[in-house]
Amino acid sequence: MIPLPFFLKATMRPAGIVAIRALPQSKMRIALRYVPPTTLIGAIAYPLLHIAGDRSETVYEEKTFRSSAGGVLELFDWVTVKTLGKPRIQGALLKINTIYRGNVQSAVTSFPFAVTYGTNDILITAVYLINEEALGRSSYTRKDIERAAWGITRLGSRESVVSVEDVETGRAEVAEAEMAKTAYAFPFNGVEVKGKGTLQSVVDWRSGIGDYSKAGRMVMFYPEESVEVRGRLRTIKVGEEVVVLAQ
Amino acid sequence: MFLSVGVRFEANVEALNMVETAGNYSKHRRVPYLVEEDGKLKTVYVPALSGENLAHAYQEHLAREALSLNLPVCDDCRRGEFYKSMNRVHLEKKVSPIPGEPAKIEEAIVKACVVEDVGGFLYAENPPVRRSSAFQVSYALPVKSMALFATSEPQLHARHAQMDSSSKKGNASEQMIYYVEIGTALYGFTFNLDLDAIGVSAITSEPILDENEIKARRDAAVKALFRMLSSAQFGAKLSRFFPVGGIKEVAVAVTEHPFVVTSPIYDDYILKTERRLKVLKDFGEDYLFTAATEDRVPEEALKETVEYLKQKGAL
Ligand SMILES: [Zn+2]
Repeated sequence: MIPLPFFLKATMRPAGIVAIRALPQSKMRIALRYVPPTTLIGAIAYPLLHIAGDRSETVYEEKTFRSSAGGVLELFDWVTVKTLGKPRIQGALLKINTIYRGNVQSAVTSFPFAVTYGTNDILITAVYLINEEALGRSSYTRKDIERAAWGITRLGSRESVVSVEDVETGRAEVAEAEMAKTAYAFPFNGVEVKGKGTLQSVVDWRSGIGDYSKAGRMVMFYPEESVEVRGRLRTIKVGEEVVVLAQ
Repeated sequence: MFLSVGVRFEANVEALNMVETAGNYSKHRRVPYLVEEDGKLKTVYVPALSGENLAHAYQEHLAREALSLNLPVCDDCRRGEFYKSMNRVHLEKKVSPIPGEPAKIEEAIVKACVVEDVGGFLYAENPPVRRSSAFQVSYALPVKSMALFATSEPQLHARHAQMDSSSKKGNASEQMIYYVEIGTALYGFTFNLDLDAIGVSAITSEPILDENEIKARRDAAVKALFRMLSSAQFGAKLSRFFPVGGIKEVAVAVTEHPFVVTSPIYDDYILKTERRLKVLKDFGEDYLFTAATEDRVPEEALKETVEYLKQKGAL
């Protein structure tokens, strides 16, 4: 019998603004509406490293440097997210005056972000599927990861503060299916979808995180509420909900 | 230790975050508030303060607190120009010649400047060296239940020029009319401070400074936040648009590891935070939760926080 993988589900309340750059190194100020998997890994890596007393952010190996979050990457078999409510991208063009080396300069800028602020509450729920073999090899325990989930402080930029309102843990049932109903984002690859949602190209976190200039990308479908997915699917049941995994 | 503070403050007739001037109009930062009616999305623009704005104010306070404790602050940060060793020109003022190793560069910057130690920096040369900020600030947004009462509106002002009888009529304007958009709202924001990051390398994880200096810097970091809150010295145009109002509520959580108070833009934030903190007992973790609402002034809660941090040996 295949052991049932351990999962974590963290429900977060944003502080109104979630600013995630599509291309971290680029001057093209494009913001993502939905949280990509790399951000989810970074979000849990920070409290996890904190628990271990590890303060490192960057790992230098001669001429290459990586994010320390890469060190906890293998602890996760899969990460995905569901967003309750529809955030809006907002980025007004602004004229700003700056003083640089004694000269006043005028420039046009914008700082787009996803707005999660309104009459209805927007909740963001992340699901982490833990690789217990890797966890066993690491210095972390299951309890550490659970505590780390409660310690997620932000998604993306430092202004995107969130509070974790609930953490659920359990064993996930893996299944093969031809049809699934899900509210969680999934890779849009060889599947048919019935329902509303947004396609977003994101960094394939499994190829490593930190340097995105050469990273592989994948297209994820972010459902609005819940959608019906058809294809040759691999799914897991996390509590009462279904998550569609990559092929 | 990790400090997370939720703040609610009332600001009437304020110009705390001006983003642009278009002609004679200076505009307040605004964000959309999404109103859902019968499944349709409508947006109402409400005044807001960006996290960057609050972060700038915090770092100015930090520079001042650090100097008063005889801790080092570099010349740029002392002037409130937070270039943060962004390139060779700025770094050379701190260390010359510039070391080749990233860890040595970080060490030199951290040793030379408390603001860059706490507020982080990005040295964008080769090799790039990055240190994340030990503090995080959310946007200050109108409290949700009252967002629709928040206003931003232009106020007319006139600047008078001296009359010059020799000049031809229409040559010099005798007065200039301009508008400043002012905001009025009950705002909420969250401020997090990771005390364990101060004075410790973000590359090697090793302390860069001795324990006493680290404690002194943490002290400066906490004092700067509390000073900023109790003096209401944050945001722009305070010399002419000092807002009427003040801090209404604060909620402070101090934990061993990261933990964030529920954003004060939600009405139930104190209750929710208190309940969630109880979970930490299952992890064998100590914490402090203190809040100041109606019958308690914010300073009392802040004082309690400092005492707890001292008792825990963090300061
Ligand atoms: Zn400095």
